[in-house]
Amino acid sequence: MIGFRDAFSKSPWLLHYDASSCNGCDIETLACLTPLYDVERLGVINTGNPKHADIFLVTGAVNEQSRDVIKNIYHQLPEPKVVVAVGICACSGGIFRECYNIAGGVDNVIPVDVYVPGCAARPEAVIDGVVKALGVLESKQREMVALADSIDKVVYLRAAKIDAPELLALQRIAYQSEAELYGDDSLPALQQTLEELEEDFERRPQREVALLGVRGTEAEDPADRVVFLKAVVNGKIIGSVRGYAVDGTAYLSRMMVHPYFRRRGIGRRLLDEVEAAFPHVGRFEAKTGHQSKRNLFQLTQRGYQVFKQEPFTPAITWVYLQKQPAGAPPSASSKN
Amino acid sequence: MSSWIRLIIFLLAGPVVGGLLTGLDRRISARLQSRQGPPLLQPFYDVFKLWQKENIVVRRSQNFYIFFFLLLVIFTGALFFAGSDLLLVIFALTLAAIFFVLGAYKSSSPYSFIGAERELIQMMAYEPIVLLTAVGMYMVTKSFYVHEIAGHPTLLVLGLPGIFLGFLYMLVIKFRKSPFDLSCSHHAHQELVRGITTEFSGRPLALIEVAHWYENVFLLSWVYLFFASVPVLGVAVAVAAFVGLILVDNLCARLKWQTALRSAWVVAAVLGFGNILVLSFLRSH
Repeated sequence: MIGFRDAFSKSPWLLHYDASSCNGCDIETLACLTPLYDVERLGVINTGNPKHADIFLVTGAVNEQSRDVIKNIYHQLPEPKVVVAVGICACSGGIFRECYNIAGGVDNVIPVDVYVPGCAARPEAVIDGVVKALGVLESKQREMVALADSIDKVVYLRAAKIDAPELLALQRIAYQSEAELYGDDSLPALQQTLEELEEDFERRPQREVALLGVRGTEAEDPADRVVFLKAVVNGKIIGSVRGYAVDGTAYLSRMMVHPYFRRRGIGRRLLDEVEAAFPHVGRFEAKTGHQSKRNLFQLTQRGYQVFKQEPFTPAITWVYLQKQPAGAPPSASSKN
Repeated sequence: MSSWIRLIIFLLAGPVVGGLLTGLDRRISARLQSRQGPPLLQPFYDVFKLWQKENIVVRRSQNFYIFFFLLLVIFTGALFFAGSDLLLVIFALTLAAIFFVLGAYKSSSPYSFIGAERELIQMMAYEPIVLLTAVGMYMVTKSFYVHEIAGHPTLLVLGLPGIFLGFLYMLVIKFRKSPFDLSCSHHAHQELVRGITTEFSGRPLALIEVAHWYENVFLLSWVYLFFASVPVLGVAVAVAAFVGLILVDNLCARLKWQTALRSAWVVAAVLGFGNILVLSFLRSH
């Protein structure tokens, strides 16, 4: 069919949001619609509706008021979507960077694909950025299609430290839906840095262990007690889970699947694999937020039972679930 | 040409012609604003893209109504091209529009609510003149059947000048063109976000677009019906009506819904009903 596959690069519908700043870039962006620049010749429609948009174009630095608005709009854009930060304030905070109410550039809040610097960014530069975004949009679309076509070719492997950057990127994307659920991005998974994630490969995260009230044994840490799994399609990591064995209990955490691949059994399979990686433990423990109904449902389906609830922030309450496989040796921590 | 062949041609060529007309519309509009405008095939690119996008819904059932909207619009056009009863065509069209409105109501969003309400007001505005058109055509041809109306030896417009003008007025509302683009605008007005289509994305939005293509082809064919005895003239007038719509769209600002409703009823009463009074007066002499 004529242009079915490349329709994405020919019909970019655009949503423009001005986060703060002096409105300079805002005006230059709207100038792109005028007869002189006429972006509609590229098929661009300036829509006011996030649900119709493909490109989210943000001008201005993010302040405390626009922060939630940007996140809200971003989540309402259907996949595949591209974010373009226009102007130096949107890229990095610009001259407002040090202000008390400024959170910085747009990439502090949502993932940004194209940066258009300038103060103010010229309409030519804005158009250039949009054209660049078309390439990103098309590659995202191709990725979506290619991955959807090879969904039955998922391989489950042990992750290594070299995978940390890709895992972190996946974690940021996968946990966006959780952040949206709770209206709170203070989730530990979204706060984790690359260094912290790399450390996860070597030892049990101190914080979580402390939270669970398990004492001691931090010193000796055999590598086989830490299981880091990844689900890979076409060389791209689309899912992951971590497991840590302490005193006969395996703590499962950071179970995540890329949004394009949910509800296709990848999460279930990851849980199978990670449980199989701990044949000798007597008890599995996992935790999730109280509103993550999907996670709770999946875990209870697999025989996990809720045994404890603990408030974490005003918005989030952790729900702890455990499972004791039949015929397994009684574990040390289950006596607690 | 048998009614079956016409029907199949409508089903296959309807979206192609409708899409090209929309592309032409955008291009002519751009030229009127001294812009270059998008390529002629732009509406097809848009629909292909929407077809591949993620579909976000408030309630899954809202897409069900959109499916029936498309189905009934196609049904309306199919009845028309098969030469069926004009009254049935009108009520099928109304039912299609109602499904669209129900879909928008289903999504519980204030913007799509206002869009749906305004769509209902627009329906109230154009419904009288649509009915009077059918009545007028019956009075001239003594038949409600489209194939008999189309086969009538005289130019219908000679007996129905007022109704024809009223029908053109109704076309502006039905095409959702300024000054009657109340429920959802094609231009960058954003005070309603996107009115009746606000909560639709991905495939349902593509279906809505295709339904509009079918609808536009059907409405322009109805313009042709006024000139059916001279086919060349009929096609010429249908094209002229379409270009005229684009011109009006670019010349006018949006009206308030009260003005839209009142003016449409005044047009229906004076041009439509007046025309029918004169016809019945002439008939009795």
